[in-house]
Amino acid sequence: MLKKSLKYYTLRYFAIAILGIIAVWAASFYWLIIDEVYDNIDDGLKDSKVRIQKEIDKNPEILLTSEYDLAQFKITALPPGNYNFATHIYNSEMYMPYEDDDEPVRILQNIFQYEGKPYQLEIYTSTVEEDELIENLLTSLVILYFALVVSLILINHFILKKAWRPFYGILNNLKNYKIGGKFQFEKSKTNIQEFDELEDELSAMIARNERIYGQQNQFIANASHELQTPLAIAGNKLELLLEDKEINESKAHKILEINQMLNRLKRLNKSLLTISKIENEQFKLVEKVNFNSLIKNALQDFESLIDFRKIEIELNENGNFEFEMNVDLAIILINNLLKNAIVHNSENGFLKIMISSDKISIQNPGEKPLNPQLIFERFYKNEQNENSTGLGLAIVKSIVKIYPKLAIDYRFDNGHIFELKA
Amino acid sequence: MKILIIEDEKELRNVMRDSLEKEHYLIESASDFHSALDKIISYEYDCILLDIMLPGGSGLEILSELKKHKKDEAVIIISAKDSIDDKVLGLEMGADDYLAKPFHLAELNARVKSAIRRKNQNGNHFISWKNINLSPENRTVKVNDNELILNRKEFDLLYYFITNPERLITKTSIAEYVWGDHAEQSDSLDFVYSQIKNLRKKLNEVQAEADIQAVYGVGYKLI
Repeated sequence: MLKKSLKYYTLRYFAIAILGIIAVWAASFYWLIIDEVYDNIDDGLKDSKVRIQKEIDKNPEILLTSEYDLAQFKITALPPGNYNFATHIYNSEMYMPYEDDDEPVRILQNIFQYEGKPYQLEIYTSTVEEDELIENLLTSLVILYFALVVSLILINHFILKKAWRPFYGILNNLKNYKIGGKFQFEKSKTNIQEFDELEDELSAMIARNERIYGQQNQFIANASHELQTPLAIAGNKLELLLEDKEINESKAHKILEINQMLNRLKRLNKSLLTISKIENEQFKLVEKVNFNSLIKNALQDFESLIDFRKIEIELNENGNFEFEMNVDLAIILINNLLKNAIVHNSENGFLKIMISSDKISIQNPGEKPLNPQLIFERFYKNEQNENSTGLGLAIVKSIVKIYPKLAIDYRFDNGHIFELKA
Repeated sequence: MKILIIEDEKELRNVMRDSLEKEHYLIESASDFHSALDKIISYEYDCILLDIMLPGGSGLEILSELKKHKKDEAVIIISAKDSIDDKVLGLEMGADDYLAKPFHLAELNARVKSAIRRKNQNGNHFISWKNINLSPENRTVKVNDNELILNRKEFDLLYYFITNPERLITKTSIAEYVWGDHAEQSDSLDFVYSQIKNLRKKLNEVQAEADIQAVYGVGYKLI
């Protein structure tokens, strides 16, 4: 569905409503005016009728006015008969030399008796041209309508925009909101009550969410901590058991299998602890970190693994990537990114690292693109790999989330490319 | 050599004791803050394994008590917390090393051995096994006075074996030791195998009397 801004949404309904109101208003206005005009004309006609009849009494020659001439009436002698002596007033048209056209007239028709003979009196008066009236009315109403709509647009634009300014402020504020981030909801000190309430409710809601989020993180941290000691005991007991002289080869293998499961648990637990430590902001100390030397150190750490897997390293330094952050987190960040690129690599594969002053890109071979929405999620695994915890990139994401100026992106272009941007 | 284990978890205390006794250490243990305090004041030890979270007080207080009594035992903090702040604080307060739970027994042995060795710098800078002499400070290895050139990982590997002679070290423990956090890889065990193969070859070339033996395919042993 096409989304409209609030301004145009209200404007559209205003425009439709005004159109309706003006139409109804125009009809009633027209009817009232016409009624009033005819009322006036009819009064004049009736007045003329009375004057003419009085004049006939004084001057019977008037009865001979058989054509509309100078006078605006004519009198026709009627044959004897039974006539309705009521007065009729009706609309008609009559040729007007001035306009050289038939023009609307209003005619009063009355049959009366003079000295026992019936006569028909017809008085006319020029009347309003209804179509012109309607035309003029319509024109002025169209002008009025557009004037109103234009005023509404202006009112909307200036007044509503001003009134809704706090709302757009709130909206922008919320766009920057990430849970668990260092977010402060800035109140706009608006004097509009509704927005003030909205801001209060929003900041209360955010505080509530942050608290729950914190509690959840704390729970993960506590649970992981509590698991460390039993994991240590179980693993160490198995190691002692393996050294037992009564253990034969097949038993040793079974014990090793259990031990390997335990190791998986330990790694999982350790990664969860790392994430909760990052998210509980336990890495506070911030200093300027040079990622170039960090990457070179990490590559040295991975050297034998890289040799073992025969991965070709290509390191391009086009600048120094420096960033103010916790150095331990920076190491975890780089190690996880590099490890990801080495682990998901093929024998005789490659690892390309490009460093510039505002970007580090790490590229490793890949067949098809990964889902960029999911790869940074916890426990997301693209392929079934029981040795992977599925937490490496989640750790990367939680580190990046702490620093608003840092961003991590994934794209696919002849391989998987992870880009760290400052 | 006397070692004091200060740890409130009985099972962990026992398993550490069992493993360290195989290395012929004399083991004593304390399960809470006050009994630990009594022991460190009354007796002398070569090494103290110290848990931070103890019933009755913090392991860090025991550290400062040790300092107060001018004791210079090698102290290794063993903590479930693995937090950098704790680690820094512990080391600043005079601990010699910091080992996070969970750990491998071979790792514990290596740490205990090097902590004690650093404390007793009585002229002997080498750790030796048969005709192999390894200097942790200089990161050099000599076999019959011939220098054995090893890369970083190979040196770490040999150090791990030489601090755990005749003990079975599991493949996963080796992978974690030489690889640290990166041991989760699917072919990490193949990697361990190839590293050990290289190390054996190099030891063989210089006529070392020691050898690294595969045990049931679950681990290796320096003999």
